Amino acid sequence: MEWLNLDDSVNALSLLGLVAIVVLTVAIVGKYIKQIKDEKAEGELAGYDWDGIDEFKNDLPVGWAAMYTILIVWGLWYWFVGYPLNAYSQIGEWNEEVKEYQAKYESKWANADKQTLIDMGQSIFLVQCAPCHGETAEGMGGKAANLITWGKEDHIEKVVAQGAQGMGFMSPMPPMMTDSDGAKKAAAYIMANFSPRGETKYPNLVSEGKAVYENVCAACHGIDGNGVEMVGPSLVDLTGEVLKYGKKDSIGYMPPFKDRFTDVQEKALGEYIYSLR
Amino acid sequence: MFSWLEKNPFFFTVAFLVPFSIAGLVEIVPEFAQASRPTEGLKPYSMLETAGRQVYIKDSCNACHSQLVRPFKSETDRYGMYSLSGEYAYDRPFLWGSKRTGPDLHRVGDYRTTDWHENHMWDPESVVPGSIMPAYKHMFSNSVDIDTAYAEAYTQKVVFGMPYDTPNGVALGSYEEAKALIYDEAKAIVADMKNQDVKDALARGEIKEIVALIAYLNSLSNERRVAQ
Repeated sequence: MEWLNLDDSVNALSLLGLVAIVVLTVAIVGKYIKQIKDEKAEGELAGYDWDGIDEFKNDLPVGWAAMYTILIVWGLWYWFVGYPLNAYSQIGEWNEEVKEYQAKYESKWANADKQTLIDMGQSIFLVQCAPCHGETAEGMGGKAANLITWGKEDHIEKVVAQGAQGMGFMSPMPPMMTDSDGAKKAAAYIMANFSPRGETKYPNLVSEGKAVYENVCAACHGIDGNGVEMVGPSLVDLTGEVLKYGKKDSIGYMPPFKDRFTDVQEKALGEYIYSLR
Repeated sequence: MFSWLEKNPFFFTVAFLVPFSIAGLVEIVPEFAQASRPTEGLKPYSMLETAGRQVYIKDSCNACHSQLVRPFKSETDRYGMYSLSGEYAYDRPFLWGSKRTGPDLHRVGDYRTTDWHENHMWDPESVVPGSIMPAYKHMFSNSVDIDTAYAEAYTQKVVFGMPYDTPNGVALGSYEEAKALIYDEAKAIVADMKNQDVKDALARGEIKEIVALIAYLNSLSNERRVAQ
């Protein structure tokens, strides 16, 4: 019999419960039937007489009296302290849920390795960024920035040469280099030293690029590439800067995504975007 | 008196409901009135946004899109901050919607832009592969109804006391002033658009529905809700 498989602990326990219910029912009902049959009223009478009916002297049991008093005290506490302080609110539950989740999230991924971050970045990208940049990140044929090339060496070189705008700093970045060699050198230095990529196609240009960078770029982006408040974005965390300030240029407008991601998520997005080739 | 009530079920019901509603009136109504007040710094809809809201209603966007972010982490992660009842104080009628065939739009102005909406309304699948939303190309050829938009905004101001024409607030003014304002707003939106027909139409003095709708969708953001 499939349904009576006593190896299954749930079935066995149910059966045991069933037996227990039957035994208890029989025993209790039997006890009371016996009591109805045999018991005689006894005890000290109060001595009243209401149309032939008297009353036993029964004091309030101590347990009941204690419970009654405790309940009154608890009721007062609950009305005036307990409930007002612990009243349910949907927003309160949301706050707690988010706080707990964030704490768990931060501790779980605090030391995530690079590949984990890239995978995490991709899943965030598919939800939050893909509607404009496309699932493949190539910008849907010019509707948004192509993130496969964005922030990489050729793009940096182009920006150094042609300038950039739209992140809301005091002035747009002017075209810096008339000769393409200077742009190439600066890009090599930026890629090798500041970019999360940490590698350049032209390692031999890095030392020359350092001089170009310090002469031309450092005024706005800082000697250490960390940017200058209100003047130029950090080159170390360019993805974070775009998320913070948004960007508006000839392609279109990207709104800032400030405070939408945790630090780990932002780092993951950066890792993903820099991993694109 | 009571024997008469007992023989008249209708009046009995009324006499029963009056005392028994008092608890409800005392506990529910003040809380509700408090929660429905406009949130601090909430702005009324400008002329172009009002026109866009009418387009939104006319084309039944609310049949597939809600405007209510619930306080669940899964929703606030995707759409942004949960909605407050006071944010709907100037929505007449409110457009909460009851079905999400498409995503919620109550915070859409925070993460979508004019050019994205332009691509999306013309051909949704060009930006969201697999989208089942129909294209709304007619919005690029139909013009907005400025008179009705003004009538609505004016009614909101005069009848419902919406705070138009306050210092640093949203201006409405006379019909002529409102008409000038709506063209200024439209110019700012169209400057970010790429469709040449819409640009040409504005140069001729016609504001296409898409422009108003984009203005409305962009206004569904914190910029409208938070005092600047």
